[in-house]
Amino acid sequence: MTVPRVLCVAEKPAIAKAVSQHLSGGSFQTIPVRGNQYVKNYVFDFNFGGPWGTCSVTMTSVIGHLTTLEFERQYKGWLSCPPGALFEAPVHITVDSDKAAIAKNIQEQAKYCKALFIWTDCDREGEHIGTEVRKQAKEGNARIVVKRAKFSNTEKAHVLNAARSLIELDDLQANAVAARIELDLRIGAAFTRLQTLQLKHISEALSEKIISYGSCQFPTLGFVVDRYLRVKNFKPENFWGIKVMHTRDGIKVNFLWRRVHLFDRAAVTVMLERCLMAKKAKVTKVNQKPTSKWRPLPLTTVDLQMMGSRYLRMDSQKIMKVAEALYTKGFISYPRTETDQFDKGIDLKKLIEKQFPDTNWGQYARGLLDGGYRTPRAGRHNDQAHPPIHPICWVSPTALSADEKKVYEFVVRRFLACCSEDAKGQTSEVEIQYGDEMFHAKGLIVLERNYLDVYVYDKWESSQQLPNFQMGELFEPTEAKIFDGKTTPPNYLTEPELIGLMDANGIGTDATMAEHIAKIKEREYVAVHSRGSGRNAVKELIPTRLGVALVEGYDNVVTGLPDSPSLSKPFLRKEMELRMREICAGSKSRTEVVQQSLEMYREVFIHTQRRINMLKDAVRKYLVEEAAS
Amino acid sequence: MANSEEQIALQLLSTKSLPVSAAWLNNFVASTAHQRNVPLSALAQTALFRILASDFRDSLSTRTPSSLLPVDIFDPTVQERQLQGSIPVQVLDIEDIGTGLWSQVEAIERVERGEAIRGREIVRTINVDEDPEQSAEGTGGNTASAQPETGNSNGPHRLVVQDAAGTKAVAIELKRVNGIALGKLPIGAKLVLRNATVARGMVLLTPESVTLLGGKIDSLDQTWKEGRKERLVARITEMQGQQ
Repeated sequence: MTVPRVLCVAEKPAIAKAVSQHLSGGSFQTIPVRGNQYVKNYVFDFNFGGPWGTCSVTMTSVIGHLTTLEFERQYKGWLSCPPGALFEAPVHITVDSDKAAIAKNIQEQAKYCKALFIWTDCDREGEHIGTEVRKQAKEGNARIVVKRAKFSNTEKAHVLNAARSLIELDDLQANAVAARIELDLRIGAAFTRLQTLQLKHISEALSEKIISYGSCQFPTLGFVVDRYLRVKNFKPENFWGIKVMHTRDGIKVNFLWRRVHLFDRAAVTVMLERCLMAKKAKVTKVNQKPTSKWRPLPLTTVDLQMMGSRYLRMDSQKIMKVAEALYTKGFISYPRTETDQFDKGIDLKKLIEKQFPDTNWGQYARGLLDGGYRTPRAGRHNDQAHPPIHPICWVSPTALSADEKKVYEFVVRRFLACCSEDAKGQTSEVEIQYGDEMFHAKGLIVLERNYLDVYVYDKWESSQQLPNFQMGELFEPTEAKIFDGKTTPPNYLTEPELIGLMDANGIGTDATMAEHIAKIKEREYVAVHSRGSGRNAVKELIPTRLGVALVEGYDNVVTGLPDSPSLSKPFLRKEMELRMREICAGSKSRTEVVQQSLEMYREVFIHTQRRINMLKDAVRKYLVEEAAS
Repeated sequence: MANSEEQIALQLLSTKSLPVSAAWLNNFVASTAHQRNVPLSALAQTALFRILASDFRDSLSTRTPSSLLPVDIFDPTVQERQLQGSIPVQVLDIEDIGTGLWSQVEAIERVERGEAIRGREIVRTINVDEDPEQSAEGTGGNTASAQPETGNSNGPHRLVVQDAAGTKAVAIELKRVNGIALGKLPIGAKLVLRNATVARGMVLLTPESVTLLGGKIDSLDQTWKEGRKERLVARITEMQGQQ
């Protein structure tokens, strides 16, 4: 009896190798692939169980997408057609020239194989790459059977389990990616050509520049510009408030005004006078209650990027790269996930136990299993594909680069914090009525730090303690006076905030946000400035003149046009992303979505062409006039 | 006829504390004379409706001093005094003194850009530090300066009101009064002050001391709305000049 041959294809060489190692138990044959130095074929035997049994396996990989969508040759030149024609110009899929050898390898191998098992990452992009692989394999062997392995980390037991419970490729998700690729190509090329050709003559600085447009980049830029203008246009104003202080038992208690502050001095003066006329303040509430600071939710990609760029001093793209590397090496689970709830089936205690050897948090992990363990809070998101990001195994710090160490440490500490008890404390609150006005004072004692001990990123500290006040008691406050202050502008946008805004406004998927931010930096639409110094330095995003000009120009283009949202605003892209989800859910077809979305953007395109002068004026204003002044 | 005029006047005075001017009422009854067999209560209802849309200086009588503001009401040297009885007034201006002028301008601009439309809202600020679920429970105190969203104002509000004789006064919403808010209380809306306290020239509004009758003066309200942003900006500019 001959052993059936099976072809396995992963998304990256490192995954192919890791999976081969697990499936073969460490003994496999490595065969180079002609024409590509990174991709290898690993040959070994493995028993897949079920209908497959023991097979002779060739495990190989691609390197991301195999193919690109392109316009037909006659549309490729920048001056070959009016940019608007790109909304319907014919397109075709080609295998990237540098991927030809990889594609050929898959075709070749498929010839001798009964089945193809796809091991691309389990997300939308991975599903699409899976269909690209399938296409190549079918070209080599039309009758090949195609299955998919579902996995979210490269830990051994998990991989073995995935190999023995194969599923089908999800064509809906692949279609959503195909739709996105087509939309990005057409919309991106049409607007990029239009604005580059129209704007190049305005300023020397633009004559050689490609002014690229992307339907995600522009709203991302929009947020940066919006905040920048809010800071620039801000007008400080005076405000006034009432401050009440009372000394008791040698403690100075500051009572805060319920109204915080008002913008009318005369009114505040009258209010204070009425407090003083009343002479005595009355205690209307004395409250002591237990309080807690909640342990964090399980870690999602957005949170990793936000928290990471805040605490680890790395930008979000860097963090994702490092996390990706940690995943490929099998140290953490798949870092692209929207899920903030752990599945009941996952053995969290076992994962905690793996952290025992660590010199920094091993002791803490032990404490969790000695009774400190709590079931993690469950958030509201579940992408049904991946668990929250968590450590898979312990790794010695010496085996990691400096950046890897930081990200790994964050993931572990966050995970241990999730499995801990909330921090506990007690707040005491005293509320008084003084004249017609209400004031309150608050104190906090932290009683048990719990998760805070391991999650060093959160701060929660005891404040001054309040002396005793009796409910209903009357007293004459030691001091009551007016204070004044000035409103201050918001800060420039930081990267964690920007990620939060993109997420809240439905721009980009968790996986792509970091790329869009990197893009607008690379295109020189925004620059990163440091505010403050040393450990407290904050990196702020500030638009360049060109960045401001583009946003203002596109906003002006649609001014006064009802129902035509600006390209700098999130709506169009948000709409498009909702449609992608509809493709995934099977409620809309790919063609339907592509047509609808193209229609939306084509309308803006036509307006832009008609009112191109507005765009030119804005660019002139910022790049020519302001630059000169 | 005179009899029905008297009855309407009496009814509006007793139910709404509105001393209607005899001349105005006469006019009103004359204008409705062609409608026969209208019951008196319906007629009184129509009269009330018209009065609420009128300028009090035209429609109310100035004969009873107790329904008018003292002419020296603005006097800042008077620490405190009580206005006896019920005084009907109309709103000439309203502003939110709990919110900075500039953030009110920003809110108006958001509406101008169409961001108040459902589905077109933009989230502009997020709190990176807080657990979104826990922050609902609130850490209280210092974070109370949340941005006012379009339409609803935080207050307290500062009004300029006017009585039937044209005397104006500043009124401060000392305690929250339902119905007093930007976008809810139009210019020309009618209020009745009841035994209100005046401190340093400012009428102190509380739920006990004010009754909202509603209504508005369309022409005034329209101009007020159209000029609001400009006035806010002008005041900011003026303030910057003083600094």
